[in-house]
Amino acid sequence: MSNPWIAIGALALVGVLIPLGMMSVSALLRPSVPEDSKRASYESGEVPTGNTRIRFNIQYYMVALLFVVFDIETVLIFPWTVIYGDAVDAVGLGPALLPMVAFIGILAVGLAWAWRNGAVRWIRSPRAQQELTE
Amino acid sequence: MAAIELPTWAALAPALILAATALVLFLIDSIESEPDTTSPVLLTAVGLAGALGALAFNVWYLIADTGQNAPIELFGGQLMVDGMTLVLGTIVASVLALVVLASYDYIADDPYQAEYFSLLFLAATGMTLLGSVDSFVTAFLALELSSLPSYALVAYLKDNQGSVEAGLKYFLIGALSSAIFAYGISLIYGATGSLQFDAVAAAVDPTALPGILGVGIVMVAGGVAFKTAIVPFHFWAPEAYEGAPTPISAFLSSASKAAGFILAFRIFTTAFPIEAVATTIDWLVLFQALAVVTMVLGNFAAATQESVKRMLAYSSIGHAGYVLIALAALTPTANADLVLGAGMLHLLVYGFMNTGAFLFVGLAEYWDVGRTFEDYNGLAQEAPIASVAMTIFLFSLAGLPVGAGFLSKYVLFGAAVGAGLWWLAAVGAIASALSLFYYARVVKALWIEEPSQDFEIDTYPVGLYAAIIVAAVVTVLLLPGFGLVSEDAIAAAGALL
Amino acid sequence: MVGVVHYLVLSAAVFAIGVFGVMARSNALMFLMSVELMLNAANINLVAFSLHYGNLTGQVFALLVMALAAAEVAIGLGIILVLDRNFGDIDVTVPTTMRR
Repeated sequence: MSNPWIAIGALALVGVLIPLGMMSVSALLRPSVPEDSKRASYESGEVPTGNTRIRFNIQYYMVALLFVVFDIETVLIFPWTVIYGDAVDAVGLGPALLPMVAFIGILAVGLAWAWRNGAVRWIRSPRAQQELTE
Repeated sequence: MAAIELPTWAALAPALILAATALVLFLIDSIESEPDTTSPVLLTAVGLAGALGALAFNVWYLIADTGQNAPIELFGGQLMVDGMTLVLGTIVASVLALVVLASYDYIADDPYQAEYFSLLFLAATGMTLLGSVDSFVTAFLALELSSLPSYALVAYLKDNQGSVEAGLKYFLIGALSSAIFAYGISLIYGATGSLQFDAVAAAVDPTALPGILGVGIVMVAGGVAFKTAIVPFHFWAPEAYEGAPTPISAFLSSASKAAGFILAFRIFTTAFPIEAVATTIDWLVLFQALAVVTMVLGNFAAATQESVKRMLAYSSIGHAGYVLIALAALTPTANADLVLGAGMLHLLVYGFMNTGAFLFVGLAEYWDVGRTFEDYNGLAQEAPIASVAMTIFLFSLAGLPVGAGFLSKYVLFGAAVGAGLWWLAAVGAIASALSLFYYARVVKALWIEEPSQDFEIDTYPVGLYAAIIVAAVVTVLLLPGFGLVSEDAIAAAGALL
Repeated sequence: MVGVVHYLVLSAAVFAIGVFGVMARSNALMFLMSVELMLNAANINLVAFSLHYGNLTGQVFALLVMALAAAEVAIGLGIILVLDRNFGDIDVTVPTTMRR
């Protein structure tokens, strides 16, 4: 009985060899054209301005937080969906469905609050406004 | 004996009411689209109604003996309701009602009041649930539900450097300790294959993996020690209590501490009974050592403080040491019902007197009196009623027989002596004597010293005053009424063991 | 074969890296990441032992721990944000207004 780790080792070896091989082959074949603009950071073809350490608008943070809430919520719905069919057979529709309705209802209260208090309202910052008019 | 038959889930009514109140507050805040247009009176009224409703259910269940003969199990044994749940629920709901009342004046000028009250109620829900957990899963969830809103509440005054610093430190140490707690739970799961308290207890003796189990128990004890500010995890307490808005300091040092202790009582008597885990790790010795260190360190540090609020913060660490006696004295010879019941009683009495003392500091902050002992000089001439209340709180905290603090301490130390741990009681008594010194400094400043400044007191805030007076009246009334509540508490402890 | 001990060693290593990060770094964001590592170490244990014992308790608990970790980060980032506004830095050793 051969060791199952051999296959994993072989896969890892191939995984390392292929990119290394491609890089070395292209290094041997390609022409050398040294040029400064090749080292500039890529900004969709535009000429780069400023450095990368700029302050982002705080509203990205709000949106990211809301995303995290709904992202994690799905994690908690998953185990419920897995047993939902069996649960309905075992205890009936109400006891299987209502807890999840309550869970999503509580989330909805949170979302309604965030919505009404302007967490998802996009307000242009003075700086962005200024850059837009320039 | 209950005249009305309720469904079993109704046993959770106190926690459900608190959670519903939090959601209602969010909805009220959502009705107006502009932030901070909701009337503070409406928010306070809804909050007070929620807290008193939860309190009423707790007291009713206590009187009707709900779940006290046989615990009510819910959700497949994840939650349970018994006497200890209801005692904790009563403590949390009473402190919450006082804090809501006091917050009406304290945060009158601050934005985001609806969020403040909602977070307060979410934290209170978590604390109430901590009394009814019956597995490590729900224990972790309830602990986090009580901690996460608390971090935000401590940092609520977000333009105040002290408040933000306090929130940061509370959050950092809290996050660290919850990670340790979670890792401890994972190790216990590894050693026993279960997360239910009684299933864990069945699997720990004998265990195949004593090392993993031992490390897990120590880590869980660490997580609980953070919540209750016991010595190795107490660093956050003075900073967080000093920087936080004062009603929040009162809430955390009373209700949150009580919830942490009730969780500790539950875990260490149900999941790790000492006779089963004594060969793996003897937590009696661990808690005896921690109790001594906590009592001594908390009280000595309190004696050297200049700020009254910080002194109260250190004194609350000292009181955590006293309550820890309840776990440390569960020796085989002890009258275990009495020991645990005494711990719960001290938590109940402490809930009122400590909340009242912090709220007096809040009143002084409201008047911009200052924070040191000298700033309080002669305050009694301006505010005699509040000063009488503060005197009652402080002497009761020290253990003089003007409030119920005397009786609860007496029962606690007596129970320790009965368990054969006279030296533990002696350390407690010495620490109490020392505490009288620094509590008396405040009383002396209030009544005897000449005013060192001109007070500019033009308003007497109704909410803060009412909360302080109610707390004082209850502290005094518990003195004759002690027998009434002690029966319930000791019976609740007996049901646990 | 990979046994439960391997997972235990892995999780202990991840936990130790987290503890080191907590002790050695004073940047609040690094602290958050270190705490996340510690929580994930617990998750590794829970899932591994869940497989070992053949019950699902550990896996479901791991999901709950993930959800709570996300909530904790959300609160933590909010606090770090106001920290930066008040002190102009997110070094946790900078704020010392209460030590006199």
